Amino acid sequence: MSTSVSAPSVEGTQRATRIDAQGWRVVAGQECRDLWVSGRGPFLIFGFSVLLSGVTYLAATNLDINFLEQREAVNLTLQMAVAVGVLVTLVVSADGLSGERERGTLESLLLTPVSRRAIVTGKLVAALSVWFVAFVVTVPYLWVLGRGVSIVVQAVLLGLLVGTLVALGLAALGLLISAVSTSNKVSLAVSLFLLLALFAPTQLPSGLPQGWFFDVLARLNPVTAALHYISAVLVSGHAWTRDLSYLVSPILTVVLAGGALIVLAPRIVRLHAGVSGE
Amino acid sequence: MITIEAQQLTKRFGARTAVEELSFTARQGDVVGLLGPNGAGKTTTIRLLTTVLTPTSGEFSVAGIPSTRPNEIRRRVGVLPESAGYPGHQTGRDYLRYHARLFGLARSDAERVAERLLTQVGLDERASSRISTYSRGMRQRLGIARALVNDPTVVFLDEPTLGLDPAGQRQVLALVRETAQRRDATVVLSTHTLPEVEEVCSTVLILEKGRALVSGTVSEVTRAVAVQTSGQLRVPIELVDRARQALASVPGVVLEVADGRPDVLTISLTERPGGRGETGMNAALRAVLSADVPVLSFEVEGARLSDAFLTMTGEGAG
Repeated sequence: MSTSVSAPSVEGTQRATRIDAQGWRVVAGQECRDLWVSGRGPFLIFGFSVLLSGVTYLAATNLDINFLEQREAVNLTLQMAVAVGVLVTLVVSADGLSGERERGTLESLLLTPVSRRAIVTGKLVAALSVWFVAFVVTVPYLWVLGRGVSIVVQAVLLGLLVGTLVALGLAALGLLISAVSTSNKVSLAVSLFLLLALFAPTQLPSGLPQGWFFDVLARLNPVTAALHYISAVLVSGHAWTRDLSYLVSPILTVVLAGGALIVLAPRIVRLHAGVSGE
Repeated sequence: MITIEAQQLTKRFGARTAVEELSFTARQGDVVGLLGPNGAGKTTTIRLLTTVLTPTSGEFSVAGIPSTRPNEIRRRVGVLPESAGYPGHQTGRDYLRYHARLFGLARSDAERVAERLLTQVGLDERASSRISTYSRGMRQRLGIARALVNDPTVVFLDEPTLGLDPAGQRQVLALVRETAQRRDATVVLSTHTLPEVEEVCSTVLILEKGRALVSGTVSEVTRAVAVQTSGQLRVPIELVDRARQALASVPGVVLEVADGRPDVLTISLTERPGGRGETGMNAALRAVLSADVPVLSFEVEGARLSDAFLTMTGEGAG
């Protein structure tokens, strides 16, 4: 046996640390460029704004004929913005890993010294950028509907806080699904089904039935819980601290889905999904 | 210096064994040809050594770094994966710059490295074009450039000439040679094209069903394997009979006259090259020359790497 090549130097170790520290930022930067400069981002946001324009128009006309109070109109638009904003965020995150697998670009990423945790963190940040842009688009609509009552600032802050919480949790969930899905279609289908299942209870004509069971269900579901909290503050005029228990579910989703993503990333971010091996 | 050392490397996917107890070494500057029929375990071997997959058992080190430090190994290797995908909307320059950044280079250094590599692989004029407009050969060259962004000690190229036209193949092979020579890097070249291996590889590792059948230099592998050797001898037509008489005295030689070519004698040897077969062919030639028959041409068949490969893997049967 001959001599081996020299072991990595101190400089090499420092460089490895630097790679990990900046890796997620590099991945996030490129993902954002891919998404916004030449990807689906603008189209998704265009669709989002068309939908929001429709909802705002309906809310405004209902407002004019006194079917809807101004606070309710703002609440309706904000709830729609959160729900659809989260939906598009989920669509982007659900494509994050399974899409790269199908396009054959994941292997090149896995061959870099950037850790798999840094890769998913970068992708999570990029997916969240969709929510933030969607939210920025929402602000003028809220301003138009909320003129005259001092509700706009409250609605914007509430939407930003609660929406970001739900978007972060569901984006992490979307990436988890994407990591373990055998194809991109499966990942998108499962993610959309999940979101619709979570979102459906909010669309019942008279809301969820009364009773402790349905109250628990509403609190467990991060989407219904978040929307209920928004509604309680904006429409019922509750203090921000009064219904905080409704935010437990969205926070738990962030902690559990985000935590699972970061902890499991080295095992689930791999070339082939599924259980048969790598 | 040894740059790759694999010991008893095994990878199983459920009940299927993709690589089984594979052991081999490669040295700095070597161009190692990784050969084997489809499903032999070449791609899995590369994915194991580049830490994309984790072995079921066994150990390896790449560039002196043990397999227990995969991130550091990835920092020292460059890889062109089989059927690599490329983001069509990015330009070649953006793509290389991004990957250079992923290897920890500062923005300005990444820019410089991208420009240098684009020039090196002959894509400098298309650097600002979207990858979706690149031909397959251009993408392969871009992939090789990507594999070199971190100035690697070991470069793995999985089927780099697959689907390329002859000109594209030549360009890629020239790049492979240049990479090994100029950078003094170890290059592992997985391919089905055996003439490529004979042309550029210094050593060969033949795999079948996940196991190493043989390894060594091209000539060692060729000699080590049982290949029936034959040769075509062309002599002046008026001296054919004298040549036949001379050859008749050499043991183990079977003579035939080539179809429609009375001046060409096909000499078949039933013995192995590297053993008595080679000396038998020499003896046949010596006998012809001793009989004062000028040899106009002599072409040996069956002593090439492709013959050895087909014999070893049984693909030549039938």
